[in-house]
Amino acid sequence: MAKNVEIKDHNTLFQSEEYMKSAEKKMEFEAPCSLEEVEDTAAYLKTEEYKEKNFAREALTINPAKACQPLGAVLAALGFEKTLPFVHGSQGCVAYFRSHFARHFKEPVPTVSTSMTEDAAVFGGLRNLIEGLENAVSLYKPDMVAVSTTCMAEVIGDDLQAFIETARNEGAISKSFPVPFANTPSFVGSHIVGYDSMMKSILSYLNGREGDGEKMAAEAAEKINVIPGFEPYTGNIREAKRILDLMDVRYTILGDHSDMLDSPANGEYRTYYGGTKLSDAAYASRGKGTIALQKYSTRKTAKYIEENWGHPFIAGPIPIGIRNTDALLMRISELTGKPIPQSLKDERGRVVDAMTDSHPYLQGKRVAMAGDPDLLLGLISLSLELGIEPVHILCTNGDKEFEEEAQRLLAESPYGLDGKVYVGKDLWHLRSLLLTDPVDFAIGSTFLKFAAKDANIPLVRVGFPIFDRHHMHRYPIIGYQGTLNLLSLMVNMVLERLDEEAPGHSFDVVR
Amino acid sequence: MRRQVLEALEEPACEHSTNENLKVCARPKPGQASGGCSFDGAQIALLPIADAAHLVHGPLGCSGNSWEGRGSLSSGPHLYQYGLTTDLKESEIIFGGEKKLREAIGEIMERFSPPAVFVYSTCVTALIGDDLEAICREETRKWGVPVIPVNSPGFVGSKNLGTRLAGETLFQYVIGTSDPPETTPYDINLIGEYNIAGEMWEIKELLDKVGIRILSRITGDGRFQEIRWAHHAKVNMVVCSRALINLARKMEEHYQIPYFEGSFYGAGETGSSLRKIAGLLKDRELERRVEELIQEEEKKLHRDLLQYRPVLKGKKVVLYTGGVKSWSVISALQELGMEVVAVGTNKSTQEDIARIKERVGADTELIDEGGSGSILKAVRSKKADMMIAGGRNMYVALKEKIPFLEINQERHTAYAGYTGLKRLAKHIAHTLSHPVWQLAHKKAPWCEGWADDR
Ligand code: SF4
Repeated sequence: MAKNVEIKDHNTLFQSEEYMKSAEKKMEFEAPCSLEEVEDTAAYLKTEEYKEKNFAREALTINPAKACQPLGAVLAALGFEKTLPFVHGSQGCVAYFRSHFARHFKEPVPTVSTSMTEDAAVFGGLRNLIEGLENAVSLYKPDMVAVSTTCMAEVIGDDLQAFIETARNEGAISKSFPVPFANTPSFVGSHIVGYDSMMKSILSYLNGREGDGEKMAAEAAEKINVIPGFEPYTGNIREAKRILDLMDVRYTILGDHSDMLDSPANGEYRTYYGGTKLSDAAYASRGKGTIALQKYSTRKTAKYIEENWGHPFIAGPIPIGIRNTDALLMRISELTGKPIPQSLKDERGRVVDAMTDSHPYLQGKRVAMAGDPDLLLGLISLSLELGIEPVHILCTNGDKEFEEEAQRLLAESPYGLDGKVYVGKDLWHLRSLLLTDPVDFAIGSTFLKFAAKDANIPLVRVGFPIFDRHHMHRYPIIGYQGTLNLLSLMVNMVLERLDEEAPGHSFDVVR
Repeated sequence: MRRQVLEALEEPACEHSTNENLKVCARPKPGQASGGCSFDGAQIALLPIADAAHLVHGPLGCSGNSWEGRGSLSSGPHLYQYGLTTDLKESEIIFGGEKKLREAIGEIMERFSPPAVFVYSTCVTALIGDDLEAICREETRKWGVPVIPVNSPGFVGSKNLGTRLAGETLFQYVIGTSDPPETTPYDINLIGEYNIAGEMWEIKELLDKVGIRILSRITGDGRFQEIRWAHHAKVNMVVCSRALINLARKMEEHYQIPYFEGSFYGAGETGSSLRKIAGLLKDRELERRVEELIQEEEKKLHRDLLQYRPVLKGKKVVLYTGGVKSWSVISALQELGMEVVAVGTNKSTQEDIARIKERVGADTELIDEGGSGSILKAVRSKKADMMIAGGRNMYVALKEKIPFLEINQERHTAYAGYTGLKRLAKHIAHTLSHPVWQLAHKKAPWCEGWADDR
């Protein structure tokens, strides 16, 4: 390429003389507050008084840190082979889900809607569902369609079971075509509840469906099942598989969207990539046991499995940090009788070594964090191992049980003494906390960047969604490897900050 | 609300209204990947009013999923960036959300003292029958600050329809409610320009040079106050999108402001837009200045583009913006020496399609079905060199190793005006000649026939 033509963008445009002048004129015309007033207000925002006012807020949510149920249901469905997520409701929600996932994973996301309109609001969405199923099956050729609802269908009270039956009777889909469904109104719960409902629905629907193949059953009896939970990291699912392979364990991942949402650029786009085989899911109940890597995003699924599959079921804690990963390996070992191999023991040792290398820089650092319940529990646990003090822990979609568990965890370590847990609060609450009681850095999704900027602290991006950084989801944050990744994200951010803030005389090379 | 929706659906300035079979704008097909809802469209049109509070009355999803999803920039206030919602829960679905809405409006007033609050209805609040109009009327009285209902729940239809409903809202509640401190004979409004990636600022720079003043920005980088006095403008320019044409038409009817549809994508369209403004302002001297500016800018442009020409010349593009920009971007690409071999029209109006046809040759394919399959088919059958489209289709293209340029609302680069065209040329040239395509098309060394696999 030849030398580029210089083109100024608006960052430079605003520095030009004309713009500066017109900005001055505009200031006059907009009659903004004086600088003093701005400073006063900024100072007021840092007071306890404002914080109290802010926490007294009830009707208004400002900057929410959760997504809605059907979004979670879509992710669960994407984990099964040739399965089309199909959302019964008006069209907009689904367009949002698709762009949310596309922006986070940088991948195309096949998901369709029944595009309900006003007529459906009056007469019910039966025709939309039937026509939609027929169109979707002929257009996208799935092996299974997983139906979830948005609030619209819930408010008018559409009966999915009956509607799908009618669709079969009318021949829109064949009698045997699998159509699991879940009710996922967005005015209840959050994306983790939607994930859970759909996972439970798919598993119970497929269970035993493929008939009694003896060979399949015998094979399944050799395996364990692993359920990832609402998992925004494709790297985590791959890491779980790597660990299981190293342990020489046979397994089925129930809801494996790692290939679907991290597919290779091979020159030909396909609608479906990988995913849990429907036949594997059908025999999963015959396995040695089931491990859910997250607890709060698999509650209903847990209940279903415990009551129906008649084998051991263990959920969480999410294997972030040494202690949690150890626990996972022990459980796999107990379930399968396989020993923990030297390779994993060495890996553990290397991560511990890395932690000792970094500990002086992380010791006593105060952090704020926001995210889903399971993730937060993992991050707290890791923080305590690293001597980091979790101070503000904000969980918009957390509940009482989570709050208590988090508090118990904090109480176990002197580094957890300052930690406070806020459930049901939003990111504007977090902003108040960051201003009244400052911390060294924040951990959470892209949406925390506003609050972090206002508080002038760096943000370590972990969780969902991450729109403004690339490839984070490809690296695991679970297992020993994932722990190492998180460690290096955090410590290097601290070191980066040290350099940024170092005056000339302390700007040095070795750390 | 029904009446408003029907009216918007049957917009007379939208030519499908003369076609018996197309009495109203098309509705989406169940079971197919489809675009945004009317709520989305309304929010897109109004959200760029940067100093206003935008409160979404509904369950969390509508706000949470759309929060900060677009690249409209503001040179000042940032209240529009806050994700404000009543976050309705089950109990409110049963007992109604009106009380919570009133409280939320109060909390906004006390906390942010905005010049106005836009309250958006959503599927749920429309279904449970919350009386948005009445509440907004009362709250307006109570606070002495306009609280404006935006009645465009998702289920009434497409994004375009929602944009139109937003136009109705502005016309009904905002425009004409205040007067500017001063007017000049060169005052115009930009309608439907959302300042994505700061495009408006570059347009403004051009207009400033000849002394045309933007009286009201509707709505990119807009302020509530300036939209109130929009009725004092001498000319309305509807930028690219036909979705807000209803607003321009009504303003012509009520305030006798002539309007035209124009675009700033490409030198030709930019020049003709400038000329039209000057012509409608009926000022000889201004027309002369505009001619001078166009000549000067085109000369510079020609010189700057020279180095990209060899890379761009004759390259085939599939354009799928999934919206109304298609026709104007076509001209820009043609000026760069490229050939548009296929254009997506699934969200274009009849008029847009007519304009597309004016601009492309007979063998250009019009892709009217949504979905990645049909776009990819066009790329393959036309042997296109690259694809220019919106974010949702980007990753499909990349799987197929097709050079891709993002052009929709999430982009971070401004492509309007002469500067924008240079930027477009530069980015397309970079996209086409990036080494990653060589890498992507080479087989791995262990494969048979290790060479380009194309
Ligand atoms: S379709 Fe309805 S529920 Fe969905 S985002 Fe749009 S307004 Fe909200």
